[in-house]
Amino acid sequence: MRNFLLQFAEIFVKKKHSNTPFKVLFADFKKSLDLNNQILDIIGDANDKLSGDYIFDEHYIHTTCGQLTDLLRELIVTINHLTSQKYTGLFNSFHRIEEDLALILRGKVLSQDIPLTLQYSDITRDLVDAVGGKNCHIAEIGSYLGLRIPRGFAITTSAFELYWKAGNLDKSVAQIREQWLDEQLTLSEASSRIQELILKTPVPDILDKAILAAAAEVVGKDGRGKPCFAVRSSALGEDGVTSFAGQYQSCLSIPPDQITRAYKQVVASLYSQQAMEYRLKKDFRSEEVVMAVACQLMVPAKASGVMYTYDPLRPEGETILISSAWGLGEPIVAGAVATDHFVLERKPPHKAIEMQIVRKDESMVITGCGGLNNVAVRARQRTEPSLKAGQLHDLAKTGVLLERYFKAPQDVEFAIDQAEQIVLLQSRQLQLHYDRLPRACDLSGIDRSYPVLLRGKGVAAMEGIASGPVWILDAEKDLTDFPMGAVLVARHASPQLAKVIHKAAGFITDIGSTTGHLATVAREFRVPALLNTGDATTILRDGCEITMDIECLTIYEGQVPELQHYSLQEEAIEDMFEYRLLRRVLRKIEPLNLVDPESDNFTPENCKTYHDLTRFIHEKAVETIIDISFYHAHHRDTQVGKLLWEYPLDLVLIDVGGGIDGEHTKGILAEQISSVPMQELLRGMSWPGVWDMTPSRVDFNSFMSSLTRTEPIRNSSPEDVGRNLAVISSEYTNINFRLGYHFTVIDAYISENILDNHIYFRFSGGVTDTARRSRRIKLLGRILSHYDFLCEVHGDTVVARLKRMDRKSILKRLFLLGLLVAYTRQLDVKMINDTRIDQYFKEIQTIMEESNDN
Amino acid sequence: MTTEQTSILILDDEPIVSKRLKPSLEKKGYEVETFTRSADALQRVMERHFNIVITDLKMEGMDGMQFLTEVKERYPDTEVIVITGFATMATAKESYNKGVFDFLAKPFKLGEISEVIAKAEKKIKRLER
Repeated sequence: MRNFLLQFAEIFVKKKHSNTPFKVLFADFKKSLDLNNQILDIIGDANDKLSGDYIFDEHYIHTTCGQLTDLLRELIVTINHLTSQKYTGLFNSFHRIEEDLALILRGKVLSQDIPLTLQYSDITRDLVDAVGGKNCHIAEIGSYLGLRIPRGFAITTSAFELYWKAGNLDKSVAQIREQWLDEQLTLSEASSRIQELILKTPVPDILDKAILAAAAEVVGKDGRGKPCFAVRSSALGEDGVTSFAGQYQSCLSIPPDQITRAYKQVVASLYSQQAMEYRLKKDFRSEEVVMAVACQLMVPAKASGVMYTYDPLRPEGETILISSAWGLGEPIVAGAVATDHFVLERKPPHKAIEMQIVRKDESMVITGCGGLNNVAVRARQRTEPSLKAGQLHDLAKTGVLLERYFKAPQDVEFAIDQAEQIVLLQSRQLQLHYDRLPRACDLSGIDRSYPVLLRGKGVAAMEGIASGPVWILDAEKDLTDFPMGAVLVARHASPQLAKVIHKAAGFITDIGSTTGHLATVAREFRVPALLNTGDATTILRDGCEITMDIECLTIYEGQVPELQHYSLQEEAIEDMFEYRLLRRVLRKIEPLNLVDPESDNFTPENCKTYHDLTRFIHEKAVETIIDISFYHAHHRDTQVGKLLWEYPLDLVLIDVGGGIDGEHTKGILAEQISSVPMQELLRGMSWPGVWDMTPSRVDFNSFMSSLTRTEPIRNSSPEDVGRNLAVISSEYTNINFRLGYHFTVIDAYISENILDNHIYFRFSGGVTDTARRSRRIKLLGRILSHYDFLCEVHGDTVVARLKRMDRKSILKRLFLLGLLVAYTRQLDVKMINDTRIDQYFKEIQTIMEESNDN
Repeated sequence: MTTEQTSILILDDEPIVSKRLKPSLEKKGYEVETFTRSADALQRVMERHFNIVITDLKMEGMDGMQFLTEVKERYPDTEVIVITGFATMATAKESYNKGVFDFLAKPFKLGEISEVIAKAEKKIKRLER
């Protein structure tokens, strides 16, 4: 029945189309392509702003969202015009995203679509707004760094929102807060009234059940007798700034059925006096006052302690401080018991330079579930150090690792479990106190005090200061051997390099763009990255220690302590509201969820971001224009036919004016084509030796196989003739090659008027990323840039543009594109290593020279 | 601090602009003061001379155009650089008519503004000689 309706709808649509001149439909198609390109460009630009290299303000974020929303609306209207309102469902998805964006722009932190609880193993960095810093950090330490952490789960901000709504707390809390700000209430009155309100609110049933289920899952994994949890705050922004530390309540040794009660207490502490006062001082918007909660299995610790990766009072001493005692960590953190002190050198092998062992009479231990007790320490242990030499060394190593990963000095809580293993309980930024703060102006002139290896070259993909030994990636080396803490130096900013993002102190490449995949990942993980330096691989020596200051595009030889100390106390970029805001809006804009047009979820309803909408519409626009032109070959103003050619190029031509000479019945001969850009493209494609005549494998994931299908053409339906379409006129050509999720688009106009001349080329190599495919992209990028295209690589898409060139130069470059289309046909298969890139690059150059001589 | 240090005043009502620009410029050896309210900035300008003034245009209270007019009247040798998120031909033209050194549309790169500042500094040094 559904099928029948669909067929009926299609007939109806076709009927309608048959009344619309093709030129009008094509204008819609063209418009949708233009909008598509504009949208993708703006999205790429916006991500670039996260690099820290730009000064942007809130106004920019608002304008960008506004622009994108307007373009998207126009794009949806256009596709519906083109398809006789076939995709009106896009408006629903669009409005949903638009509304979310509006909320985010007003400062709201959205958490819909996020479950009420999340297991630690399911938490990734992009969920930080849903689970809070504490949860996110500890989960990342477990999953990215592979260090030991307690089992646990997060009660998310979704849960918080649900709870807040259940008690209608938004309004009542805001009221009391207002009264406090108007000085009708004292801080202590306001704080206790709000907390009372919160504690009075019952936790919704569904949340209660979710918490129990999550706890059961954690306990199930552990399989111990009577497990109990530590329930702590994980509020937004809490881990970024130390001053929040200790302001919220923690509940210890909580059995699973009591977690909900503890949850309420922890949430209520969001309105402790200190917290309210602190938020007022800092740049926190009231919409950001949201709390996730961390529930971790208690570790029955033999010993516990705290580590500072720098001495906060004397950072220039380059030491690590550790204090520890027997039993659980709570009394240690609270400063209630005497602790052993250790001072270690920051530099490996982390020699202990000071040890102060105190007498430890009591320790806190877990006594069954729900109970904590202070017990007497066994006589023999009282004067023993609570950490062994090996543990100290491992802790120091871990500390440096955490610091490198989180890009700031760390304050780490740890436990030593019954098996003498280190378990990390928490890691957060440590605030350093300098006698005299290193100031930016002290740094002027350091470029004269330290040897400079490289200056003023390259583009900043991610700002920052980093140091470490150089590790040059060459043919002999394997990325899997990349050492922790080194600076990765490579010829190309290949997406592959992102694999070592957790280990690298920084990235430097000879070639690469700030809109590529590596740049995006470097921003996500805040790893300083300097790309496109031209010749860093030849200037820098393997193993040589360097310090990079990306903002100044300078690489120093050796360590530059002034820079390092300055960067340690510099405010992290994500502590700025505008940066957080841009990140949040981009989450509704940039991710691409719809990747496979053949899949069942490729529907308007499944579009979750602006990128999804754009992707869906582009697919449908191309599909529609091919369907329409094939079914409606009888417009008087257009001619349609297949290209009959000695090469197996499976191409439907639509002539909208002067693109084809003479009559044709069975097909169009290459000689009949009078469209100048098309002629030149075909000349490139048919250049001797370029077209690989061996039949291509039947590989439906390979774009070129569709382009060069060798089987006979059956003139039955568009499905059978493929999706290769060229719309031509005497001066214009627009080509869309498509199969699966691979695309090539060429749009070119050529005339005697230089101002009107342009070429647009877009090539997407698919979403799954293989090394060969990325080499093909690199090769294309290199060739196109060499021939003056303005070239951008976004992930595995190449976009190349060229404007305002004279007729002869445009023709030369169209020939090049023809060459590339034919030439790159087998390249995925042949690009077995990076040296092939150079080889093919040279071959193309040779052909270009030969063709010029002719 | 040497007397040759070039002094810069930054006025922008969005705090992030000053917050990001100040350390970056100080690192390059400039002396930098920042303001988010035009009234405060104006008061400071009455008290002392700056070599370079960087100002936004659209602000509450006295807007950037008024502010830079005052600055230019008082200190014709101060070079003014306009930064704005509402860049139009008309405002750019008006700025240049008032003797503004350069006009940058937000968002801009740290490198871009440093270049403009360096050029302004060069011009100042040339005129001093």
